[in-house]
Amino acid sequence: MNQSASNQTPASLAPRSSRMKHLKGEWLEGLLLLSPAVILLLSFIVYPTVSGAFLSFQREDPFGKSREWAGFANYLELASRPEFLSSMMTTLKFTLLVAPLELLLGLIAALLVWRPFAGSNFFRTLFFLTTAVPTSVAAVAWGWFLNPLSGWVNWFVRALGLPVQPWLTDPSYAIWTLGVITAWAGVGFVAILLTAGLQGIPEDLYEAARLDGATGWVQFWKITLPLLSPTLFLVGLLILFRSLTAFGQIHLLTKGGPAESTFVWVYRVYQDAFFNFRFTYAAAEGLTLFLALLLLAALQFRFFGRKVHYE
Amino acid sequence: MIHNLEPVHASKPINFSKIFKRIPFYLLVSTYAFVIILPLLTLFSASLRSDADLYAPTFLPPRFTLEPYRLALTSYPLGSYLLNSFLTSSLITLGVVITSSMAGYALARVKLPYRELIFGAIVGLLLVPGEITFLPLYLHVNSLGWLDTYTALIVPFIASPLGIFLMRQFLKSLPQDLFDAAKIDGAGHFRILWHVAIPLASSALGALAALTFLGAWNMYLWPLVTTQSKEMQTAQIAVSNLVSAEGSQWNVVAAGAILVLLPTLVAFLVAQKAFVSGIALGGLKG
Amino acid sequence: MKKVLIAGTLVALSMALAQQNAKTEIQFWHSMGGVLGERVEGLVKDFNDSQTNTMVKSTYVGSYDDGINKLLAGIRAGKVPNLIQVYDIGSRTMVDSGAIEPLENIAKSNNFDLEQFVPQPRNYYTVDGKLNALPFNSSNPLLYMNTAMLAKAGIQYRNSWRLSDLEAAARKLTIKDASGTTLRYGIAIPIDSWFVEQFSYNSGEYFCNNENGRKARASEMNFTNPADVAFVDWWARLVKDGVMANIGRSGDNAQAAFAQEKAAIVAQSTASLTGLLKLVGGKFETRTAFFPFLKERNGVAIGGASLYAMKGQSAEELKATWGFISFLLKPNSQAKWHLGTGYFPVIKGVAALPNVVQAHVKQPNFQTALRQLETTKVNNYSAGCLAGAFPEIRQYVAGAIEEAIKGKPAAEALKDAKAKADAALDRYNSAIKK
Repeated sequence: MNQSASNQTPASLAPRSSRMKHLKGEWLEGLLLLSPAVILLLSFIVYPTVSGAFLSFQREDPFGKSREWAGFANYLELASRPEFLSSMMTTLKFTLLVAPLELLLGLIAALLVWRPFAGSNFFRTLFFLTTAVPTSVAAVAWGWFLNPLSGWVNWFVRALGLPVQPWLTDPSYAIWTLGVITAWAGVGFVAILLTAGLQGIPEDLYEAARLDGATGWVQFWKITLPLLSPTLFLVGLLILFRSLTAFGQIHLLTKGGPAESTFVWVYRVYQDAFFNFRFTYAAAEGLTLFLALLLLAALQFRFFGRKVHYE
Repeated sequence: MIHNLEPVHASKPINFSKIFKRIPFYLLVSTYAFVIILPLLTLFSASLRSDADLYAPTFLPPRFTLEPYRLALTSYPLGSYLLNSFLTSSLITLGVVITSSMAGYALARVKLPYRELIFGAIVGLLLVPGEITFLPLYLHVNSLGWLDTYTALIVPFIASPLGIFLMRQFLKSLPQDLFDAAKIDGAGHFRILWHVAIPLASSALGALAALTFLGAWNMYLWPLVTTQSKEMQTAQIAVSNLVSAEGSQWNVVAAGAILVLLPTLVAFLVAQKAFVSGIALGGLKG
Repeated sequence: MKKVLIAGTLVALSMALAQQNAKTEIQFWHSMGGVLGERVEGLVKDFNDSQTNTMVKSTYVGSYDDGINKLLAGIRAGKVPNLIQVYDIGSRTMVDSGAIEPLENIAKSNNFDLEQFVPQPRNYYTVDGKLNALPFNSSNPLLYMNTAMLAKAGIQYRNSWRLSDLEAAARKLTIKDASGTTLRYGIAIPIDSWFVEQFSYNSGEYFCNNENGRKARASEMNFTNPADVAFVDWWARLVKDGVMANIGRSGDNAQAAFAQEKAAIVAQSTASLTGLLKLVGGKFETRTAFFPFLKERNGVAIGGASLYAMKGQSAEELKATWGFISFLLKPNSQAKWHLGTGYFPVIKGVAALPNVVQAHVKQPNFQTALRQLETTKVNNYSAGCLAGAFPEIRQYVAGAIEEAIKGKPAAEALKDAKAKADAALDRYNSAIKK
């Protein structure tokens, strides 16, 4: 690739080339530089998205032998099934727990370690560590941690004199438990981003505040939080997107159960496609989720877009 | 701003009375760190227990044993799973670094018609999460006959909108003189990219590589649906298989999970700087 | 001359090598993990070592769910194994796929007498009048009991349990502390639709209509029958009273609860026998008993899985596939499989082999599943329900148990689940008809 491309460079080097010729050479180079990425993006993001949209208007048997146009049948079914609404609600519940919790846990970690102190690198490593933990390992660790028979959490609960709780097997707890697990898995990620954000706040602001006699608490509310808010907001948005698309922990720990209480939207798409073998219906579900995400992003830009500064 | 995360070496002599005053702080930060890593510690503890001690209510294993590790390694080709993960993640990372620097450079430094439009379209693709396209992508890959091959695990991911975006922003932020000088010397864009842009962008590329590698290593849904044979499965799927096959022996599952965790953990500890700045870069700008 | 000699040697050598390479390779996907996985791999190795023509390459493809899903995906891609293990409830789907080579056809062309099969497993996998698959690992549900605990509570061990008697025993076996927190549960059953299905059959009820889908394609589920309502109600009541442990859907947790002496009785498949005994490790004596029933015992259906040969194999591959199947059906392989796992033999007369008889005397628990099978009435109840979309339906039934445990009346929970299940079945049936 590089070899053949560099053969093109002389065009732009020709000593007496006209401006037009020069520009053409530049375009050619630019196209050559762009084309691998563009071709790949077109084939593996754009094309699947478009073909997914087509698929959602079709119908087929579980073995993919016959496929035919079905108009809006999949979307009508989607709207008519109670699972649609319940999955949306589950996803919403999950997201509304994960986002603030993950933000809070990560913020605490970042506030503890953003300033250098003896041992700060050690603690940073510990707090940032969950970034390196794959979802599957996180799920296994928590599955054991919360084991209904003799998990450590239940030992603790029992030591407090409380009854042992079925954290992942009771339909009223399971989604919250998964939320905590997901938030935990993201602590390192959030802590890294917020530490960077905190370090971006000019130190002289704090010095000025100290001279004015402001306590740490006041400094936090008057300086840290307002100046960190764009970062907090951005991170919050990232968490939102990540939690809306959570899959591995659910697949490994609850498979949507108990009593369908953890059937978040992505899991439903997976289930309908690869378990119930209704690809076309699942495509309609997937597209609906996509549109919901786009709507969310559009709303975000509409209301907050100007407050977020890109460098 | 990101560079501030580099380790700060205290050059001053240690002031013990100051540390003494900070005991409550250290207590707080230690407790919090302990709580955060506790689930991993319990997993590690379980992986060192025999079947008989598995449920013993102690923090440390009553008797240490490496038997679960032996079982996890002998009954499952964990080594080949890990190798697959390593291979696919490395190739994806390499691909992303190459395509992102090429396209990022073109969008930042080459006068192209509709350049901003193309860039805008690529930024738009950032909004399309993989969990949405996985289904049609799966059918696409299936019709290409790639199911259960490395191709399916690698090729769809070697161009990344985020990578292009980051590289374009980075290369755009560099002073124009650096490029002008090379141009006056008569260098074409490919040479400028190779000799000027890439060396200047090495830290950004390192960060992008770390971010990409982590993301590729953690892929779960995609290998779950596209791999069939054990020769193709990745470490994440190995954990899934361990859970369904050895669920009655949590010590073996735990040992397998620790083995799957180890490579990323070591990579993270060794290249923490690249990981941290990669995440800070990818997160704050994406 | 020398050259000719060398050439001749080379030709001979390459021919010998070619012969070596001419081994037919067949792909075999299975879903046996843990101890069961070791035993399957053992049989595959035995077969590969026993002859030189065929090389069976076995792959663990994850749980049963994962296995059939990978297969259906493979059918789309035209990339399927020669032989695959599919669970009982995938039978309707496998036949509907049209992608299988019915075992009966292969067996007949190889002059294998189907009468050698034990009738119940053969019945189960006979769909539309044809035996479609090899009932390789056939199981039925058992109660595993900790006899030390039983003796201490003054309960006489017996084979056969009415649901109400089992409840009384479980209550007696439960130990609570002063505050009413359960220290030891009387019984633990993983939340799995399979047990609800088996309770239907064992109490003389159909789980789906058209006589369990045996007379005609099932179009409606029937788990709102009085037996299942009573069973789910019983289940929820016992959990509420702290007599039954709510250990979720995982059978592994049930086994762990039993082995850790946190539950005196568990319901599990006979396939768990070897694994469970290994887990208990001789800490206490374990005895197995038949699955409970409501009023009168009909007998249960078989569970487990069967092996399907896929269509589109070359004559050579098909021959190799049959070679492996007939190896698995040999009395010795059957005996080894039975004693290594707890699954029962599917070929008549295996139980009378001297080494099997000896093993049964040494470990009588291996006999329970066989006795349960022998005393089961051969009818359409015990033939088991045959329906499409069964994996999805199972999830609704499991959900109903969970709803009931949470407090919903059992009848209502099952009725709601039936509405969802019927809709799923409807979708499946209408998609197939096209």
